Amino acid sequence: MNKVRKIRPKERDAIILSLKAGVTPRLGLHHIQVGRTKEISGLIHDIDRIADGGSAFRLIIGEYGSGKTFFLYLVRTIALEKGLVTVNADLSPDRRLYSTTGHARNLYAELMHNLSTRTKPEGNALSSVVERFIAAAVQEAEAHNNNVESVIHQRLLRLSDFVGSYDFAKVITAYWQGHENDSTQVQADSIRWLHGEFSTKTEARQALGVRSIVNDSNVYDHLKLMGMFVQLAGYKGLLVNLDEMVHLYKLGNTRSRLSNFEQILSILNDCLQGTAHSIGFVLAGTPEFLLDTRKGLFSYEALQSRLSENFFAKKAGVVDYNATTLHLANMSPEDIYVLLTKIRDVFAKGDESEYLLPDEALKGFMSHCNQVIGDAYFRTPRNTIRAFVDLLSVLEQNPRLKWRDLIGGINVAADRNSDMPDIIAAKDDNVGELRNFKL
Amino acid sequence: MTQSASQAFNELHEGIQRWIWKHGWTELRDIQEMAITHILGAQKDVVISAATATGKTEAAFFPSCSYIAKNPSPGFQIVYISPLKALINDQFRRLKSLCEVVSVPLTPWHGDIAPAVKRERFSNPKGILLITPESLESLFVNQAVRLMPAFSNLSFIIIDEFHAFIGTERGCQLHSLMHRLEYVIGKSVPRIALSATLGDMEGVAAYLRPNGNMPCEVIESNRSRQVLKLQLRGYIKKGEPEEPDTIEEISGHLFKELRGSSNLIFANSRANTERYACELREKCEHHGLPNEFFPHHGNLSKGVRENIEKRLQQGKLPTSAVCTVTLELGIDIGSVNSIAQVGVPHSVASLRQRLGRSGRKGEPAVLRMYIEEKELTGRSHICDRLRVGLFQAVAVVNLLLKKWYEPPGKQRYHFSTLVQQVLSLLAQYGGIRADQVWKLLCDTGPFEKVTPDVFADFLRSLAKHDIITQTHDGLIVLGMKGERIVSHFNFYSAFFTPKEYRLETNGKALGTLPIHRPLSDKDYIIFAGKRWKVLKVDTKRKVVQLELSKGGRVPLFFGEGMMVHDEVRREMHKLYCNSSPRSYLDETAFNLWQDGLSGFNNLRLAENSIVEDESSIFIFPWLGDKALYTLTLFFQFYGLKAFVNSLCIEIRDSSIKEIKKTIQHVRETKMPAVHEITSLVNNKITDKYDYLLSTRLLEMDYSCKKLDFDSAWQWIQKEEI
Repeated sequence: MNKVRKIRPKERDAIILSLKAGVTPRLGLHHIQVGRTKEISGLIHDIDRIADGGSAFRLIIGEYGSGKTFFLYLVRTIALEKGLVTVNADLSPDRRLYSTTGHARNLYAELMHNLSTRTKPEGNALSSVVERFIAAAVQEAEAHNNNVESVIHQRLLRLSDFVGSYDFAKVITAYWQGHENDSTQVQADSIRWLHGEFSTKTEARQALGVRSIVNDSNVYDHLKLMGMFVQLAGYKGLLVNLDEMVHLYKLGNTRSRLSNFEQILSILNDCLQGTAHSIGFVLAGTPEFLLDTRKGLFSYEALQSRLSENFFAKKAGVVDYNATTLHLANMSPEDIYVLLTKIRDVFAKGDESEYLLPDEALKGFMSHCNQVIGDAYFRTPRNTIRAFVDLLSVLEQNPRLKWRDLIGGINVAADRNSDMPDIIAAKDDNVGELRNFKL
Repeated sequence: MTQSASQAFNELHEGIQRWIWKHGWTELRDIQEMAITHILGAQKDVVISAATATGKTEAAFFPSCSYIAKNPSPGFQIVYISPLKALINDQFRRLKSLCEVVSVPLTPWHGDIAPAVKRERFSNPKGILLITPESLESLFVNQAVRLMPAFSNLSFIIIDEFHAFIGTERGCQLHSLMHRLEYVIGKSVPRIALSATLGDMEGVAAYLRPNGNMPCEVIESNRSRQVLKLQLRGYIKKGEPEEPDTIEEISGHLFKELRGSSNLIFANSRANTERYACELREKCEHHGLPNEFFPHHGNLSKGVRENIEKRLQQGKLPTSAVCTVTLELGIDIGSVNSIAQVGVPHSVASLRQRLGRSGRKGEPAVLRMYIEEKELTGRSHICDRLRVGLFQAVAVVNLLLKKWYEPPGKQRYHFSTLVQQVLSLLAQYGGIRADQVWKLLCDTGPFEKVTPDVFADFLRSLAKHDIITQTHDGLIVLGMKGERIVSHFNFYSAFFTPKEYRLETNGKALGTLPIHRPLSDKDYIIFAGKRWKVLKVDTKRKVVQLELSKGGRVPLFFGEGMMVHDEVRREMHKLYCNSSPRSYLDETAFNLWQDGLSGFNNLRLAENSIVEDESSIFIFPWLGDKALYTLTLFFQFYGLKAFVNSLCIEIRDSSIKEIKKTIQHVRETKMPAVHEITSLVNNKITDKYDYLLSTRLLEMDYSCKKLDFDSAWQWIQKEEI
């Protein structure tokens, strides 16, 4: 029971800082992971399939505060450890899968910006992927006494089945030429092109001599290209994580929403029919995003039939962890208790003798939160966790203080979702029945 | 300009100083002098009030441009909001050279500017943005994520023709937009309002920023007063034919007096505008003279309107525009020699505006008013006998001379505009909690009258129509129908725009025509001051092809009735009681005046407010239209057959005794409840999104918008029986 798990200081600080800010930490996730073992093994199965040259498609559906983002990060960490390249992005009003006003290219740029590898888990790893591809080509050229450029060309021929591969190969070659000619400008332009940051074709032609750029209409094609390319560079495959899919549900324009759903359908078809290779998609969103039959994925006939629940599993009262759609349940008080012990562990760097609080205090903390904000303390635990981390920080810095004196004064507010920031100066006590308004 | 002459001048950016020198200005106008220091401080709101063409625009732009030239930052630093596209084009032209000397880019932005130009400008926002409220609304809906970077360094919001916004749905939209913009960028931005002189300037200042978060300075011009030359001409309309014959006489006089100079002829309605423009043009042709009379109203195409504006601006050719309110606002059309008002003026403030167009550069303002009344016969109606139109015109002039203007109306709910703002907010952010929406728009924003429980009711009636819906975690998001509303280009305006046909001749756009009176092939119409034959009506593309021709009648336009204020009616009552005729009446008008007085005296209206003839009872409360209508509803509520007739309430099938008893009864019980009264009104839907509201909300809104319970109740209390 009392196994001592070493927690590195870097991970410890990252976890504490992130939790304090109310966001998911990027490092050391496994130290605070609670439950969900079946779901995770389902995803590990997916990752293995991608690494074997297959494809995967998953929808992670859970209510606000159920830990979707945490789950996605965890999956991402596992994928990196298994040698995949990952890209991830949150959808937002100006980032979506399909658009005619630059919003799809925005999404692509964000994905590429967050491209990570095992050695560069914090993103911005695209140029090192390209470097690795080039290095392998140089090695092969030297071994066979060949021209590097023709080796690059040879290797990139394997992309030729994909739309847009011609210019893609040209850009990679340009990167190599830039390296040869000591032109950092050309190299920077090549990376800019791969990042999807050119906004006009003219600009790209002047810089790199290519006729096309990443634009709204070919984002998915470029993701497929990238999936193949990372393999050529020696990685196992590409995992694409998209969070906050509910923004598609919220799109104010029916036509553009349907176009986005159509794009999801074609990705889903490619992945599940096996036409896509070495690439996987994990999409996370709230129940509305999936289930709403007027504005959600279910409003699109073809998606509804593909994504509906496993009828037999439902009838048998069990969960099918291989289903395309995984539902994450909200946390329970028991889960929160385990989570609090893990955070205590993190503070103590895994050393039980350094615990800042006894078990009794954890229960006291939970019942205090329950009194103040009711079941929201475990259903949407962001603020609960934040308050707990604050409490531990205070205790850590002021060892003379007693936890019993502090708990009663802890300020914890229910975590309420909104896309609009709250008006800070405004009083909060005059909203009457609008506080927990139901239509 | 000597240095000692102007302290304020020295505070300006030297580029601006150079510009002023170069344009040969010898001194700053008084309002400019006063405005500079206040605006340069950038710490308070400023209301600049003066007549048109007294340098209000410069008073605002000299110091604000100086400020941003001295503190250049990325993004738009000044947003100038104008109610009219034409005014934006005009200001763009006027400000261009000023902005060039201080290297501040100037971006005009409205519905007629090409999308490509807008896209380019918005990708590199800088300097001054000239925009309409509707285009600003569309930025919130379509460019939500780019608002923050584009406006984060905003230093001033300048609102032109501010008086035109006061009390309207559009004004409410403007407030909401300014408030939302300040919320997005997280700071209050000084507002500079340019306004015509209205009676209660402190009231205007309060209206500029309802929550009073920033101090406000009111700057009024103390220039010497203008001399006014005024004539009121009366006309008698005989019989009741379709086409009034007085038009012939009035246009004859207009033709004789106005030809050869530049003038504005206000004809109260678009239909009349067309009628007079056509008549006057034909007179020119008949005499073999070049045409000088052109119509100008909102349904004419941009090109047609701009041609006339340009002609007036250049002032080379004598030009008279027959116009509606479109030329009441401050588009720079140079000075005109005189103003003609055809028909009864309804509001003092509006007449003041029109008058401001005449008599620039120290010349007297010239106003000719043309009032027509029906010929009296034995069967003439009481209201005709009183010569109501003439007396109203005189009352309005009286109040104008006393410098009284209609105050901003009582605070209203503006539910229709609230619908628009809630939808726009949802489109801007995606999903928002109900309490946040209320806090932003109602608690801290312009819809202060809306309480949480009313707002809850409001949201539920929107949900009933599938305008909004709610997610599991409580967020309000757009419903299916809400999406459709937001996606439509009509969404951005707070006011109602009827569906319209486009009128074309030889592929050139002439303007638009509302659909509610459909045209048929081979119809004849009068439009843009000319007579046309309808060649083809394309119902699918909503286009009507026209060809010049001879015949034609004036089409019906969509119009709204102006409300006459209590004070105007009280002034009329004084006029009837105190019988000295005004010297500016011509002979016919004088006779009409005498008719009116004898009508008044015969009815002994000085002593009585309830009189009767063979068929009806008439009540004269001498109150404005709102109170009049409210009283009428009171009587209806108690079962009387009452309706409003001009300035009195007419009641059929009753007796004076019964009516007095009713008044007595109302007074002794209590005022009928709002919903009891408003439920008598069949059509309470007056604004754009009213159809989405529950009956309760509609009634609340209607009672503030169209009724005046206080005034009506006061009359009931006071009325001696």
